Amino acid sequence: MGKFLLRRMLWLIPVILVVSTITFVLMHAAPGGPWDRDLSARQVDPATQKMLNTYYGLDKPLWRQFTAYLIGDIDSEGKFDCGLICGDLGPSYRQRGLTIQQILFMPPEEKSIIYSRFGYSMRLGVYALLFAIIIGIPAGVISALKQNTMVDYLSLFIVTIGISVPNFVMAIFLIIIFASTLHMVSIVPRSWDEVSVWILPAVILGFNTMARTARLTRGSMLETMRQDYIRTARSKGLSERVVIVRHMIKNSLIPVVTILGPALAALVTGSFIIETMFGFPGMGRAYVTAIGQRDYSMIMGTTLIYAVLVALANVSVDVVYVFLDPRIRLD
Amino acid sequence: MTTQVSQPSTGKTQAHIADLTMMTVKPRSLWMDAWSRLIKNKASVVGMIIIVIFTFLALFASVIAPHNPLQINDGKGFLPPTWIEVGPNGKASDPAYFFGTDTLGRDVLSRTLYGARVSMTVGFLPTFIIIVIGTIVGLFSGYRGGRMDNILMRLTDVFYAFPDLLFFIIVMVTLRQTYIGQLLNGLFLLFSALALVGWVGFARIVRGQTLSLKEKEFIEAARCMGATDSRIMFRHILPNSLGPVIILTAMTIPGMIITEAILGYLGLGLIPSTNPKDFFITSWGASMLEGQTAINAQPWLLLAPAIAVSLVVLAFTFLGDGLRDALDPRLQGTQ
Amino acid sequence: MRSKLFVFVSFLILASFVLAACQPAAVTPEKVVETVVIEKEGQTVVVTATPAAEAAETPTLRVNLGSWPDIIDPQKSSFVNEIAHLKMMYEGLTTLDAELNTVPGAAESWEYNDDATELTFTLREGLKYSDGSLLNAKRFEYSIFRNVDPATAGEYAAITDDIAGAKEWRYAEEPTEEQLAELKAGLKVQALDMAGNACVDYEQADCRILKIGLSQPAPYFHTVMSLWVTFPAKEENIAEGGDIWWTSSKFHVGNGPFVVKSLEPYVRGYFEPNANYWGGVATYNLEFRYITDSAVSFEAYKNNEFDIVPLAAEDLATVQNDATLNAEANIYPGSCTFAVMFHQLKEPFTNQKVREAFAMALDRETWVTDVLKGLGAPTLTWIPKGFPGYDAEENRWGFDPAAAQAALAESGYTVNNGQLLDPTGAVVEMVDTFSDTPRNRVRHEWLVAKWKEVLGVDISLNPVEATTYTALTKDVNTAPQLFILGWCADYPDPQNWLSVYWKTGAFGERIGYSNPDLDAKLVEADSTVDPVARMPLYAEAQKMLTDGAPVAFMWNNVNSYLVKPWVKGIVQTPQDAGWPGDVAPLSITIDTSMLP
Repeated sequence: MGKFLLRRMLWLIPVILVVSTITFVLMHAAPGGPWDRDLSARQVDPATQKMLNTYYGLDKPLWRQFTAYLIGDIDSEGKFDCGLICGDLGPSYRQRGLTIQQILFMPPEEKSIIYSRFGYSMRLGVYALLFAIIIGIPAGVISALKQNTMVDYLSLFIVTIGISVPNFVMAIFLIIIFASTLHMVSIVPRSWDEVSVWILPAVILGFNTMARTARLTRGSMLETMRQDYIRTARSKGLSERVVIVRHMIKNSLIPVVTILGPALAALVTGSFIIETMFGFPGMGRAYVTAIGQRDYSMIMGTTLIYAVLVALANVSVDVVYVFLDPRIRLD
Repeated sequence: MTTQVSQPSTGKTQAHIADLTMMTVKPRSLWMDAWSRLIKNKASVVGMIIIVIFTFLALFASVIAPHNPLQINDGKGFLPPTWIEVGPNGKASDPAYFFGTDTLGRDVLSRTLYGARVSMTVGFLPTFIIIVIGTIVGLFSGYRGGRMDNILMRLTDVFYAFPDLLFFIIVMVTLRQTYIGQLLNGLFLLFSALALVGWVGFARIVRGQTLSLKEKEFIEAARCMGATDSRIMFRHILPNSLGPVIILTAMTIPGMIITEAILGYLGLGLIPSTNPKDFFITSWGASMLEGQTAINAQPWLLLAPAIAVSLVVLAFTFLGDGLRDALDPRLQGTQ
Repeated sequence: MRSKLFVFVSFLILASFVLAACQPAAVTPEKVVETVVIEKEGQTVVVTATPAAEAAETPTLRVNLGSWPDIIDPQKSSFVNEIAHLKMMYEGLTTLDAELNTVPGAAESWEYNDDATELTFTLREGLKYSDGSLLNAKRFEYSIFRNVDPATAGEYAAITDDIAGAKEWRYAEEPTEEQLAELKAGLKVQALDMAGNACVDYEQADCRILKIGLSQPAPYFHTVMSLWVTFPAKEENIAEGGDIWWTSSKFHVGNGPFVVKSLEPYVRGYFEPNANYWGGVATYNLEFRYITDSAVSFEAYKNNEFDIVPLAAEDLATVQNDATLNAEANIYPGSCTFAVMFHQLKEPFTNQKVREAFAMALDRETWVTDVLKGLGAPTLTWIPKGFPGYDAEENRWGFDPAAAQAALAESGYTVNNGQLLDPTGAVVEMVDTFSDTPRNRVRHEWLVAKWKEVLGVDISLNPVEATTYTALTKDVNTAPQLFILGWCADYPDPQNWLSVYWKTGAFGERIGYSNPDLDAKLVEADSTVDPVARMPLYAEAQKMLTDGAPVAFMWNNVNSYLVKPWVKGIVQTPQDAGWPGDVAPLSITIDTSMLP
């Protein structure tokens, strides 16, 4: 197991290298640059633009910008500036003065890291995933056990909504129902320290994953229920509870776990739309707006963070496989 | 609970080995049986009918649509649907526009009908590519294991590692002004981008299934009898791992339709057409976006596209359930 | 057993919703009614009143500003939402009033020399920062130097290029140490004491004169000094905080009407009144929030979670249909003009008649009512209504389908089956390029449909991603044949509209516009010191611009906000940045008796 984990971690290095190369090439191929601003305002004048390019090293050849980002470069005073390998994600071109790691990981004064943008997204993502699992898996299990009953149809109805209604539509509807009409929560949270304000964003963010989980669990359960070993288990006189929990559910979770891994990474890196609608201070917005702004370091930074998270999630999925099905071996 | 496939084979007086082969490999009757079981399932027949209707509507939108979807009607923006007398913006409905009008006074019903073309294509085409690639990669990876598995899985790691949306956006931003980006009103680029990142999920799920199936007794049996690897993979493992694939497919199709909408939200959607004779004019995603911003003025703007997407999802869910049951002989006759 | 599991799940689902209900909505301020029993001359009088503690509490004005600012540094910021923050915390030497006149800010007076090449400000006596420390002319000298300094690389640095020595310093190619010192000394900005000697430091109380030398006559320059780029942030705070000084509220010690108390990225900015502000002390605290989605913002407003929100075009009809909301809508002219740009060097717009035809094919009234949903004002000229230099008489190239068709026929270009053919009979491909947003799609679909209707020309649409669009339109070679562009005033002076935009080599060059006669007229107007003689020259210049129909003037934006009835005394100006009344925040009061 230890050897397996170590090998998978080492694999991260080439993955990061490939991902960053592709991202770097693509983003620099996109027309425009970080100093191209909203058109209704005055554009940055050529002298300033030249100064900025020199300062940020954007006037250097692309390969050198790339190595400078990954490894580092020697600055104008002959000092070595360490890059990604030292954990430096580079300067933001839009929030000038701040580095990407400061924007994403630095909490406000006197607060812990969970108050950083990454921390906020992490928390929301975990809540959303918990919602998806706590509701989705039991819903799937129940609708499989009660196939073709009202319960099954109700769950199908909710699942269909979860899959076919985009979250920007669901968000505005839930806001109108729970905030505007029932006044259960406020639309614009006074503070994210209250528990109640997390519910709507987490539910909306996790709804699609919940629906997928429920659907996949149901399908997988239906399949497992008809396996011979379930019949064997029943005929052994095991209680129904043991049969369902120990045999059916456990064996049905393999495909579910497969989608949950990457879903976690996606949920944790946040959703552009949810964050925009709720004014949520997470990192999901950072990564979408960065492309529009050509904030190169931010694009690279968010992509790499996502890449690492996905890789970690997939490793955990492989480990969970072993737990769920002893016949699968990690070698 | 006994399966129909195994029943006939037991009664025949054939050689023992051939008999065993018959149990699992009887292609024609397997698919024929599946089909006959599928059309006995009411829900999946309903699903198929819905899909056929939508395909028909999409193909013949130009004949069916009551209005030209690009016809701008001055002063008739945001009219409510016919069953509402006066909308929240104070405008009265017009019987000519069943679902009301959009911001420029264009007929929502007609636009939804035309939208079926883009959205059904966006839903189907990339999903099809994704399933083919994902299933093949997942099967090989899971079955062969070892080095092959490692290489393929690390490849999927790289693809997985890109945040989907980020990848779409970068690709669209970078390539939109090129020839590829303009092909088919930009749909070609959209398909390619969606397909490029989408197959990974399928590959992993099929691999997961394969990993657990290949240790099962009936695979052992097939192997003992000298079945070739490709035969085992495509005849034995594939049909048995289709369950999750079908479910995922039913969810991927609306996912694609919605992704197109979100890209529209970010200014990277379909290139709008100005000629009513064009095939691709607007999409459901675009209509939903417009509906979201106009939620206060014309809340029903969301209705037509939302119903359309939900119906497609339901249709695929029903069909998917039926297909899975039909393809899995063990499920036959239960409950 | 199964039913137990089912009950458990149902419970979980319910619990998640009930949890929401448990938490009382913290937003709506509770109105506590207290009953006080007073014994007086044997009688018992029951007095019902709100507790005194609440009455004394300063109310908070809650404004939805839209998006979180990327940078809040006076010498580096350039966006409206960034400026909205800076205008609360700092103040320039001059400022604007409700009629957009330039009035004294930190300076009590200013004067030009005879040929308007030197501008001398006198600061108010006893000016203080919010922390009580002295604010003298040396602080402004520092800010201007910091703005010009190429090392700062401020995005709006070019706006003070009229100062003698500024351009030389900014454009210097890799200067040596000595050259740099020389360039710095060449910048003609100097803080002086009342006796006319150079100031020593920031502690010198009689250092109240700021002398600015200009490289050319610039009688509008005192208005430029009202801009945020010269706001006097403290040098020592910038040094202490380093590159990220602006992220921390403690380094934002300013001279504006408010003091920033907290800046929580993407969540809120919170301000309290500055007790040391010369103009008085505001009676409310100010809170900025950052919700970009207009539908959500509108819901929150209706839910009494905001006092001021922007009003989106989609919601206007709904607001107007509701008597209460309609009374709360503040709609008034803005500071931008938008026009359909014709690339003067690309076919077919090299031909003036074609430009005229395309301009006259558009009905600006329908455009505003149908496409902009009423949020805009149709225009046929460049400087918007409400700004000095507005020309109310201009009516050329307005909507006239017959004249448009005639102009096209006269141009030598012909239309065949939807295709535009040039005089030699070759097909001219027509493409309308725009930045791709749902809103812009609708706009350009309308434009293209109208051109087709009136002129019979098929034009294809080319949506491009926003930054790509900016990059394309910046350069005359890549600028599209046909697109929409706007200009928003930096400061209210015709010079900012005409000279800054349309002089050869300025912004108008991106569509290949260059008119030597207009250049000459603008040079003459810019250097005329007498305001009475100056304005007619700009009026003539604006007419010369319209003569050639280089663009089709379309509309002026309007500022549109919803403001709760308890917010009183808002002063509306076209130059409002981000929220109404930010030009004169001190005149705003909150009537606490009306709070729900």
